[in-house]
Amino acid sequence: MTASSADKRKADLKVIILGDFAVGKTSLICRYIEGKFRAHETTIGAAFFLKQWGSYNVAVWDTAGDEKYTGLQSFYCRNAGAAILAFDLNHESSFESLWARFLPLLDNANEDCLKVVVGTKLDMLQPGSREVTQEEARRFAREINSNLDQKKLDRDPYFETSSKTGMNVTEMFEFIYQYCLPLSEDKKISSLATKRTSASTSTVDLNKPAVSAPQRTKCCFR
Amino acid sequence: MSIKAFELVPAIERLKLMSDKARTQIECIDVCGKNLYIGTNDCFVVHYILEGRPTQAGRLAFHSEKQGHKYLALKKPIDQLKAASALNRILVLCDHTLTLLNMMDLEPVMSGAKVKGVTYFCLNDNPVRGNPFSVEVCVALKKKQIQVYTITEDRIIHVKDVSIPEQANQIGIDGHFICAALASQYCMVNFETGQIQDLFPYDSESTKPVVKRISKEEFLLSGPNALGMFVTSEGISQRPPMQWSDNLLGVSYVHPYIVSLNDEFITVHSILDQQQKQAIPFQGGSTIGDFDGRVFISSAKEIYALVPVAWEKQVQALLADKRVQEALDLAKNANHAGLSKDKFLKIYRRFQQQAAFIEFSQQNFDEAKELFKEGKVDVRELISLYPGLMPSSSNFTRSIPVLHEIADINNLSKDNDEMKKDYKRFLRNYLEEIKGTTDGHGFKQVIDTALLKLYAEINWPELIPLIAVDTGCDLKDSVEWLEKYERYHALGLLFKYHGENDKAMQIWARLVNGEIKDELFPGLQFVVEFLSNINDPELVWKYIDWALEKDQELSVKIFTERPSNEPPTERFRPETVIDYLHRFPKAVIAYLEYLIFQKKLEKEKYHTHLAVLYLDSVLQLMKNNNVKKEHLDNARSKLRHMLQLSNMYRVQLILGKVKEQDMHAECAILYGKLEEHDKAMRILVHKLKDYVAAENYCFVNSQGKDPTYRKRLFHILLGVYLDPNNERKDLLVTPAVELLNRNVTEFDTAKVLQLLPENWSVQLVKQFLSQTVRKSMNFQRTVRIERMIARGENLWVKEACIAMQKSPVQMNDDKMCAVCNRAFSDPTFVRYPNGVITHVHCAKNKHVCPVTGKLFSICSKNS
Repeated sequence: MTASSADKRKADLKVIILGDFAVGKTSLICRYIEGKFRAHETTIGAAFFLKQWGSYNVAVWDTAGDEKYTGLQSFYCRNAGAAILAFDLNHESSFESLWARFLPLLDNANEDCLKVVVGTKLDMLQPGSREVTQEEARRFAREINSNLDQKKLDRDPYFETSSKTGMNVTEMFEFIYQYCLPLSEDKKISSLATKRTSASTSTVDLNKPAVSAPQRTKCCFR
Repeated sequence: MSIKAFELVPAIERLKLMSDKARTQIECIDVCGKNLYIGTNDCFVVHYILEGRPTQAGRLAFHSEKQGHKYLALKKPIDQLKAASALNRILVLCDHTLTLLNMMDLEPVMSGAKVKGVTYFCLNDNPVRGNPFSVEVCVALKKKQIQVYTITEDRIIHVKDVSIPEQANQIGIDGHFICAALASQYCMVNFETGQIQDLFPYDSESTKPVVKRISKEEFLLSGPNALGMFVTSEGISQRPPMQWSDNLLGVSYVHPYIVSLNDEFITVHSILDQQQKQAIPFQGGSTIGDFDGRVFISSAKEIYALVPVAWEKQVQALLADKRVQEALDLAKNANHAGLSKDKFLKIYRRFQQQAAFIEFSQQNFDEAKELFKEGKVDVRELISLYPGLMPSSSNFTRSIPVLHEIADINNLSKDNDEMKKDYKRFLRNYLEEIKGTTDGHGFKQVIDTALLKLYAEINWPELIPLIAVDTGCDLKDSVEWLEKYERYHALGLLFKYHGENDKAMQIWARLVNGEIKDELFPGLQFVVEFLSNINDPELVWKYIDWALEKDQELSVKIFTERPSNEPPTERFRPETVIDYLHRFPKAVIAYLEYLIFQKKLEKEKYHTHLAVLYLDSVLQLMKNNNVKKEHLDNARSKLRHMLQLSNMYRVQLILGKVKEQDMHAECAILYGKLEEHDKAMRILVHKLKDYVAAENYCFVNSQGKDPTYRKRLFHILLGVYLDPNNERKDLLVTPAVELLNRNVTEFDTAKVLQLLPENWSVQLVKQFLSQTVRKSMNFQRTVRIERMIARGENLWVKEACIAMQKSPVQMNDDKMCAVCNRAFSDPTFVRYPNGVITHVHCAKNKHVCPVTGKLFSICSKNS
């Protein structure tokens, strides 16, 4: 029983990856978790990875792109704090099904779920083989996140990645964590902030003009 | 990926009851303790007592005995049976009606309590209400509703209704949460709040819905495409799904395994990695259920138990298949019931040890190392795999039962040299890591010997520190090994460590002589160091001849660098050594230098000897014409240094020799020693014309003497400069004037003025004169100030004295001495500044008051 309870360690963030069949979802996650690229069998139903990020536990759910599992995917989307919508840069149809098939599934996810659009197989891009332009993907990414606080998004949630070379993979996950994790624990931030301010007052800055100095002179003059 | 987790054992074969009615089939079963209940398709409830007994072969065999049966007279199959032992009741679902029977005699309860229109029911294993004499039951009704009841011995109490969008086929309950399989989808119902959460849809055509509670707040559902889906009561999943095969009939859970039944197989999955572990062919199965951790499966006519194979056996089997990680995971997660923590740890450790050797045999060295450490493998088990590495004196035998089936590494590596090297490298790293830690505790000799052998074989530089520092190596064994691999220096060190210095020296002597070779050997230097530190005069004298012949200057260190704490012995007395060293002139010099400059022995004999030796070497060099000047200068400066520094040698002896050779600088020094400064300075000034040296001479020779002596020397020098009898005195005017003007020392001005020739202009000595005048002025003023200060102080003291004495002291018979408390008989007495009066002889210390202990300092103003 110990193991099952250990497995159930409460994850601080649930990240789910969605996207058409064979766009490279499992490869993307394995590249991130294991740091290497290898061929994968078709995912059955879903797969699950646990990642430590600082003091946080992040559960990364890999879903099957096969259409027969569509019913399960919305179930796996439940409570997701971030979703990766993956498409193949070389296939426009995979981009279109993001909007048609996968976006509605995210109704089950958290209301403030961050939706990151990710183009995969960047390394396979030949001149002329690109079927999805950066501009339209970027626009799509902006649109679907319009309900979020735009101030917190320091860039468009759109990445073009290659699991083979590892390009942009870690950056993309870091972007998600930066956005999602510090936010979900406001306390942590505030405690950190107070710590910082108290630290700044306890250090003596010789170059800074002392605040109490003018008061004292006043007193002396009196 | 297979493992034997369960064995299928027949429990009840061919139901005896129905022998006459061929069509009778098992519809459902329930097991509660020893009681086994069967519901049939023709409305019978049958009660058996079932006992499992281990057979001689160590397996479990079941013995069953029928207790009774009851016909419910409804001509409908019994859909569900569930024993509630706390109430002594069986819950029976037949013809959409839930009723209660007595557990023992199978009679219906008197009250006749029942629920109608039920399609399915289940017990709550995690009830919300804690009454131990009631059970919570959830029922699915034919209408779109789920109900929760509390059942006591003879009553069924309604608790809650929840309306649902469709009729429920299957339900599971845990706490407040009901997981229900509706006609087309699964949903999670909170019966407290009535909230319904949709989970996922399924196709009832192709999938038989299954809802299995597996643990607190977690259910296992059969999803589309034969997926086993884990769902928590929050409606999310925390484990990836499992792939089952089609036509699933039912599911059971015995940690850590999920057992599923379909029409052809019993399939076992692990909940740990969701992988299939075992498949048992089983045709015609109809129901499966786990009852208090025991799994039973029934076909139409028979009942089987799925007996778990002891986890130890499973682990053993996995290890036999070299599936190390799986084995250890299983061992860690298996049900350890009946094992104390210590006992389990012991078993687990043994598995780790076995695993370690498996990884080892597959060259997974990192994993092996961790396991060797964690499993606390007796290091000898490992070392004994390497032929020859165990100390020959060891009588170690491998543990029984064996941890592994490895003969040795030669066998493992199949004479592949690279692989053999890898194995040896592994052992080396491993031993280095555990050496000195608790893992290596108690096996120092074994570990060190093995390491020594490994190092020796590849000539590893660590060999030397290993031997030199507190080694536990077995001597005899190691000697053989080191000789075999020609690690002679290490061999010498080993002998040395074991106190066999003579043997060690023999080897080193051979190394120095070049008879044998070892690149780790540092050379003669090392031998000399060794001999100089060894407290064994016999050995030293034995090899000293040999060493000195090799290198005099180096070898003399054997005498000069003896350990400082060595007690002086007869064998190393300076006389003896010097006599002995006679043959080796360089060594003698070095030894004497050591005696004089380092030991600071003040014996005339040594000093003279060294001076003569220095002088000899200078003379030798001088005779030889084509000697480089630096060499000669070097030798002479050494001589001069010695002559100057030492006061012990016989000056006359040296002087005689030096004079013959016109060695003026040396002469000057020697004259200086004889206090014949005039002569010395004349040599310096006239012969060497080295005025700086002359001044220097004054400083050096007046060192440690009073200032007037220095003054005298400078006067002599000035006298030499200004000697009117000298023909070339004009040449010496410059140094004389410089000497005066540079103010290097104080001159007696009056004497100087007398010495100065008449014809010198004042301008020439102006600087000297003005300085002198200034100095004397300064002196005069200083003296005056001092005088005045002294006078002031004198007055002060006088005043204080008067102040102290001015008050009269009246003495009468009543006055007693403050110390002895007796009357004063003499006219004399002592009065302390604080007024204490005592006898003269009672005042022991005039600075300390005898009564108060107050300290009167002499110049304190208060006193």
